[in-house]
Amino acid sequence: MFEKILIANRGEIALRIHRACKEMGISTVAVHSTADADAMHVRLADESVCLGPAPAKDSYLNIPAIVSAATITGADAVHPGYGFLSEEASFASILEEHGFTFIGPTAEHIDLMGDKVAAKKAVEENGVPVVPGSKGALETAADARKTADDIGYPVLIKAAGGGGGRGMQIVRSADEVEDAYRMARTEAKASFRNDTVYMEKFLEKPRHIEVQVFADGQGGAVHLGERDCSLQRRHQKVLEEARSPALNDEAREKIGKIAADAVRRIGYRNAGTIEFLYEAGEFYFIEMNTRLQVEHPVTEMITGIDMVREQIRVAAGSPLSFEQSDITFEGHAIECRITAEHPETFVPSPGRITDYHPPGGMSVRVDSGLYAGYTIPPHYDSLVAKLIVHGANRNECLMRLRRSLEEFVIGGIHTTIPLHEKIIENSDFVNGDYDIHWLERFVAGDIADN
Amino acid sequence: MANKFDIDPDLVKKLAELLDETGLSEIEFESTGRRIRVARPVAGSAPPITVNAPPAAAAAAPSADAESQSEARIGTPITSPMVGTIFLSPEPGAEPFIKVGDTVSEGQTVMLIEAMKTYNPVRATKSGKVVQILVGDSTPVEFGEELLLVE
Repeated sequence: MFEKILIANRGEIALRIHRACKEMGISTVAVHSTADADAMHVRLADESVCLGPAPAKDSYLNIPAIVSAATITGADAVHPGYGFLSEEASFASILEEHGFTFIGPTAEHIDLMGDKVAAKKAVEENGVPVVPGSKGALETAADARKTADDIGYPVLIKAAGGGGGRGMQIVRSADEVEDAYRMARTEAKASFRNDTVYMEKFLEKPRHIEVQVFADGQGGAVHLGERDCSLQRRHQKVLEEARSPALNDEAREKIGKIAADAVRRIGYRNAGTIEFLYEAGEFYFIEMNTRLQVEHPVTEMITGIDMVREQIRVAAGSPLSFEQSDITFEGHAIECRITAEHPETFVPSPGRITDYHPPGGMSVRVDSGLYAGYTIPPHYDSLVAKLIVHGANRNECLMRLRRSLEEFVIGGIHTTIPLHEKIIENSDFVNGDYDIHWLERFVAGDIADN
Repeated sequence: MANKFDIDPDLVKKLAELLDETGLSEIEFESTGRRIRVARPVAGSAPPITVNAPPAAAAAAPSADAESQSEARIGTPITSPMVGTIFLSPEPGAEPFIKVGDTVSEGQTVMLIEAMKTYNPVRATKSGKVVQILVGDSTPVEFGEELLLVE
């Protein structure tokens, strides 16, 4: 087992990783930018190394600095968290070349799933249902037109090197295809330095349902159930829940098994999430994330499994601690992502926290690096806290969530706590009746008050 | 859940009268989801200000070597440009780049820093005299760590 792990991330996830390490008796190294010198996880970690100035490229994306920090502290392994370098295959390989263990999948699998065209092909070959679409990249505008006619409108043109909802064009009729195709290639080149595009059927009102998988690269592979992450604004998830209110046990067992079998077949190792769009009873693969996700706590709350601990164990060479039959699902969990933004205008609100009082009580969990007196730096994303609540059923969970949000005090900045309070009062949400467009409509004021 | 809050003028009047009668400066009344506060501005009272005293970071601690610590530091620090290991000489066994008392010019290589098997120069960011060297040979350093003082 590792003796020392370097945490190559910041904010709440760095603290999460630190906590898992400490509970396993592993010492921690916090690497940070100058702007994060006072971050909570830096204060708590056994050692800290300043990587560079605030900009991510000089610090959290600075591979030489991170590898140097691992060298000078004598770390055994590096946990990349989410975002930053967690899905950068070259980071995984450079670490391995220098004798450090990268806590995650192999560089090959990171590469495979990072190429959205190759990923779709690979999972389709392994039994995963995919969105009807082009067979690979679209080489010419004429290809695009023919493919769109075959699939049937509306269609979506997507960047192969993109992901996370960026670089997509919706096309509703034949005469729009060629212009959209050209625009998509230009934008893809500018954003991702890769102008390869492909096409998929566009689903009008799908839900985003993802399946958490875990494998050990030694034949062991399980699913840990699904999460419904349909509540999104500008393709960023805002609230997630497990289990999905849209599925029955039969559907969720079926898709869980498909996901676990696929990762077992490709020899995947460590944690991953397979994301689907779900519409009219059908699942459609969109992408696989080869890392821990922000919303992993909802899965932890319903399964009782510490996923970061399991990541570390698998990376150290152990087989999975559990088989599928060992995994049980209890109750319901909801996570609210609380960001430092105005709850209506979403204008970012970095600054000094004057008061901080997180909610407590039974089955209430807060993952956050905030503390009174802490100043949120403006250089990074705005997620400042995750409130995760568990209940014996969805109703109990909602009551507990409402109570917890009322208790939560974050003074000195704007946060989206009031937005979450409004969302959970709306009857659509209470009925579990929402799709991936719902939150945008809600924020725009297009959903009637119950 | 009722979202509308109808203002009841009788309630407000009643609360205002209560203020007068009792000599209180503020009354707040809450009942299931509705809350009303009636306040009388009080001359001379300032809103309470809580000041969190910043943790005493650089306070000179009374200790045996307090005297050397509380001396004003001479010179501008030159800090590490990256994470790595400091080497004071161009190669093992050779003379160090600089000693205390040497004059350096801006841009001159004063140390080496090694990261991922490549060696990079640490350059003086100002000209002057080397007053103090703060790190030893083969010391691991972080970005921004002070390496030497130049005056």
